[in-house]
Amino acid sequence: MARTRSKPAPAAATAEELESTTEVPTATAKSVPPPDKNRPKLFLLPKDTSEDSRIVTLDNPATGAPSRYYFCPEKGFYEFTRIAAPKKDCRSWLITSEESLASKESGNGLTTDSENVELGTGYVVQAANLFIATPIDLLFLILPVLAPKNMKETEQHFLELFDHLEALSTASRQWKALFTQYPSLKAMIEKKMVAICDTVSVGDDTMYRISQEKLLALLLKKAERVCKNGLPPSLENKFIKTALEVPIMNIKREESSLTVVSENPDSQLSTTATAIDSQSSTETVSTAATSVIHEEVIKEEFISTPSLVTPPEIPRLLRLRTALRYLASSYLPSTLRTSIQTLLQSSNLIDFTPLDTHLAAVAKLRSEAAALRSISDNISRKRGLEEDDEKIAEREEKKRKKEEEEKKKKTESRGIKQLKKADTSGMKKMSSFFTKLPKKT
Amino acid sequence: MLEARLQQADVMKKVVDAIKDLVQDCNFDCNDSGIALQAMDNSHVALVSMMLRSESFSPFRCDRNIALGINLGSLTKVLRAAAKDDQLTIKAEDVPDVVNLVFESGEQDRISEYDIKLMDIDQEHLGIPETEYAATIQMPVAEFQRICRDLSALSESVTIECTKEGVKFSSQGDIGSGSVQLRATSNIEKAENSVEIDLTEPVALTFSLKYLVNFCKASGLSDRVSLHLSSEVPLLVEYPMQNNSYLRFYLAPKIGDEE
Repeated sequence: MARTRSKPAPAAATAEELESTTEVPTATAKSVPPPDKNRPKLFLLPKDTSEDSRIVTLDNPATGAPSRYYFCPEKGFYEFTRIAAPKKDCRSWLITSEESLASKESGNGLTTDSENVELGTGYVVQAANLFIATPIDLLFLILPVLAPKNMKETEQHFLELFDHLEALSTASRQWKALFTQYPSLKAMIEKKMVAICDTVSVGDDTMYRISQEKLLALLLKKAERVCKNGLPPSLENKFIKTALEVPIMNIKREESSLTVVSENPDSQLSTTATAIDSQSSTETVSTAATSVIHEEVIKEEFISTPSLVTPPEIPRLLRLRTALRYLASSYLPSTLRTSIQTLLQSSNLIDFTPLDTHLAAVAKLRSEAAALRSISDNISRKRGLEEDDEKIAEREEKKRKKEEEEKKKKTESRGIKQLKKADTSGMKKMSSFFTKLPKKT
Repeated sequence: MLEARLQQADVMKKVVDAIKDLVQDCNFDCNDSGIALQAMDNSHVALVSMMLRSESFSPFRCDRNIALGINLGSLTKVLRAAAKDDQLTIKAEDVPDVVNLVFESGEQDRISEYDIKLMDIDQEHLGIPETEYAATIQMPVAEFQRICRDLSALSESVTIECTKEGVKFSSQGDIGSGSVQLRATSNIEKAENSVEIDLTEPVALTFSLKYLVNFCKASGLSDRVSLHLSSEVPLLVEYPMQNNSYLRFYLAPKIGDEE
């Protein structure tokens, strides 16, 4: 994160620098200003970007929804991640200008003046949101245009760079504006295209077609880079530790306190960073609790080895796959996502089979543990549940009715039984011929 | 309270025997005009209506309208204890829990007394209007019983066709078909054997034989039976009794569903 900070944080309370978008006016009046439609937002932007940097609206590669990106013609694109306080935490930003701080620190003005200045230029942002710009590979932004429009379309044509750019321009006006404004962008795109496309040279022109194999290789490289320094602790906890946790079979009661987490669907990954963070805190608490229990168990029962040993290469594979899935779910268009997944299964770039077999073994152990637990649950439930009178009465009522019915059947005369066999099709009921009389008292 | 004495317990026996194979439980509605009963079979396609007028009893006393809900199986069991010529006295309180049956044999001064527990029966009552039927056939009960029995061997249903020439009962079944035709005859010597047909309009209707055979169990009640038919309305089979009392059966015709 630190590298995205535009300036080293000052020692004072206003640690973040305010970079409001150009259309945001700064409030100067001393009286409480009316609520502003365009409230200032707090951004962390990369430093040393060119002066032409701007915020553009482009389609999100994964969802297709228009999203904001920060574009620097020299460094490329940045995506924004919103970091927000939990909703029930009432927090706000107090933003003051640097001048007021400086004047206060230098102390050469009157204290009243400096206070005035501070109050006058300060601004409170109601929502404590922080938008952090992080670099995003341009590749992902152009992928939606390169990807097949739907699943069925398997055969794709080679197209010139110009045609691809044209497709981008028609997809969004912002792209068009960017192309006209920054010719360097085209070169950047071309470089990316070469990386993931099959090319054919026709005369002087080069034609491009997306190659899923190349894309996969690239993704894999990115995933490996993600894993190199280890996954963020929240992801590590959620998807690696819990997934590989082997239940201890011999103890049933302690088992029940374990949080059984299955392989989480990818969609959960795309939640905001804070959400994951807040989850991770609870996660750590629970895992800490379980580990404590485990220790106790080991002390009491002298069980030192779990029934299944995790092979050393498994965590690395799982991390890699988690990273890949994260990339696929948050940056790949839906049309590409499934085909990349299937390609991953068959590709010889990396083999996930040991991981799959290990996870299956863990799942089996877990289901066994769950079955054992449900058995013990059942027993306790039977013992614990006192039949309430209502239920007993209900059952007796049912029984009585049933008996009555049976008795009635037994006392039925032969003639009535015979008549039951009679074919009454086409015969209307008596009530359709004769009118019902009001009941006599 | 109710107190009604029948000179012959046999009448009651026959009535109950005739009904018990059609309905299980029913209300005997007692009021000052007599004892009436209306009930439907389980599938509600047939209806039985009985009226024993107060004149049939002597003495007859009914202070209030009382509904006696009786299981006909139980009543049959008790009535079995009565000899044919016993006098039957039916007694009940105004708000009764039981109905009291007393059988008295005149010769031996033998008095037997039975109580039958009553039950609450929730029955719907249908209003049956007086109808002018297109055809009315009167015939000996034995004749009707025989026709129904013979044809039921062939088929489940019988078509009763009434024309100027007479009445024709015809059935078609898996093994073949059969029919019985009766002409209107007036047997002066034996009036009870004659077949009388009163026809205003030719009519042909199909009925379930199983039900008709069931109705024939009332044959012991009288010598003659009358069938009343009109298209699109239930057949009325009436067994008349003394003093304008009657036992009537209604049966819905089979419509549309041709076999």
